[in-house]
Amino acid sequence: MKDLYRLEQVRQCYDGRQVLSINEFSVGEGAIVGLAGHNGSGKSTLMRMLAFLESPDSGKIFYDGKAVQEPGLWLRREVTMLTQEPYLLKRSVAANVAYGLELRGENNTDDKVADSLAKVGLEPEKFMQRNWFELSGGEAQRVALAARLAINPRVLLLDEPTASLDLESTQLIHEAAVSAREEQGTTLVIVSHDHLWLEEVSDTIFRLDSGQLAG
Amino acid sequence: MDFILNGFWQAFVLLFSADPETYSAIYTTVCVTTISISVTLILGAPLGFLLGYHEFRGKRALRLMADTLLSFPTVVIGLLVYAMLSRRGPMGELELLFSIPGIAVGQTLLGLPIVIAMMATAVENLDLRLKQTLLTLGASHSQILRTTLWEARYSLILAAAAAYGRIVSEIGISMMVGGNIKWHTRTITTAIALETGKGEFAMGIALGLVLMMIAFAVNYSMSGVRKRAGQ
Repeated sequence: MKDLYRLEQVRQCYDGRQVLSINEFSVGEGAIVGLAGHNGSGKSTLMRMLAFLESPDSGKIFYDGKAVQEPGLWLRREVTMLTQEPYLLKRSVAANVAYGLELRGENNTDDKVADSLAKVGLEPEKFMQRNWFELSGGEAQRVALAARLAINPRVLLLDEPTASLDLESTQLIHEAAVSAREEQGTTLVIVSHDHLWLEEVSDTIFRLDSGQLAG
Repeated sequence: MDFILNGFWQAFVLLFSADPETYSAIYTTVCVTTISISVTLILGAPLGFLLGYHEFRGKRALRLMADTLLSFPTVVIGLLVYAMLSRRGPMGELELLFSIPGIAVGQTLLGLPIVIAMMATAVENLDLRLKQTLLTLGASHSQILRTTLWEARYSLILAAAAAYGRIVSEIGISMMVGGNIKWHTRTITTAIALETGKGEFAMGIALGLVLMMIAFAVNYSMSGVRKRAGQ
């Protein structure tokens, strides 16, 4: 399995306080990598770097074998991230799921939108025309995941995606995320406090402690 | 008390008999405020968006200026616009004094700070997760800009309603720049002031009722938007 990500001597500080110090870290293409650790251990900072939302103060991030200096649009379009409390656009569910596709110039998005909603356990006929404010927390989270699955990403980063959800939504999100790897070969990096799930689905689990990889 | 009740009765007669003088003031008001609010939004929405979206040197000073201008007295705006448009003024050649476009210039100056300040505040207060979401879905910088503007659309509508409320109810600019010329630049507010001064309450009350109805219609239509903006 070739490395999709490789981090070398990556350091990140906020207000002079070091929050991340990783000598070496890699993620294989098509792998499911779990990240565990206490709050404030640097998991989210690492995820933001993998999503190219943040650049390290020092060190190098290699993606697909190339060092990333300024991530271009094509690179950002291969990687997407779902957080604990995702933001839904002030639009219908269908428009939210279609947004990423439209950014990529796709016009006839209805089938893909319906397909993505079905993957996260939301009936397309029932949900497509609903507005963003007509959804429960679990439904909103599933719509957000559907929007990310619709763009068929090469990398899906899940940062505590089920932390505040009920059991049913949690189960559906777990299944949809894992099926993305099985059906499309998507690489997954998952941060979760649900250790049982992490151990069940991950090929490798890294533990972060005070910004350093502990094992 | 009788003269007030009689005034209300006469007001309904004027309104339901389509009194030409009454409706001339209503028509002029609708015309001039439509021009004013349109220009205000065309200029103010992008300026407010840029002010709220970007960080640059002098931003705080500009915000302070916009906020200060929110309480600019209409008679002072009227005075300044009068001076600019009068024959001796720098824009005297345009011959806009005592005309509807002249009033619109003043009312636009009145509405601009409201739209700019409210739009800037709305953009500054947009959910911090929005930009991250757009970036992780693969939006380019111009796509982020357009989507952010669209996300602030309900706040823009509210800003437009607030600006329209101030514009439609002002009197200083209409009186000074428009000159309160019958059949030409007489608006609802200047007509109310004039008729009340003459002791003719009926038309004043009739026009006051129309003004109240406009205010009610604007606020009623905004109640749904207000809810959406907060969601």
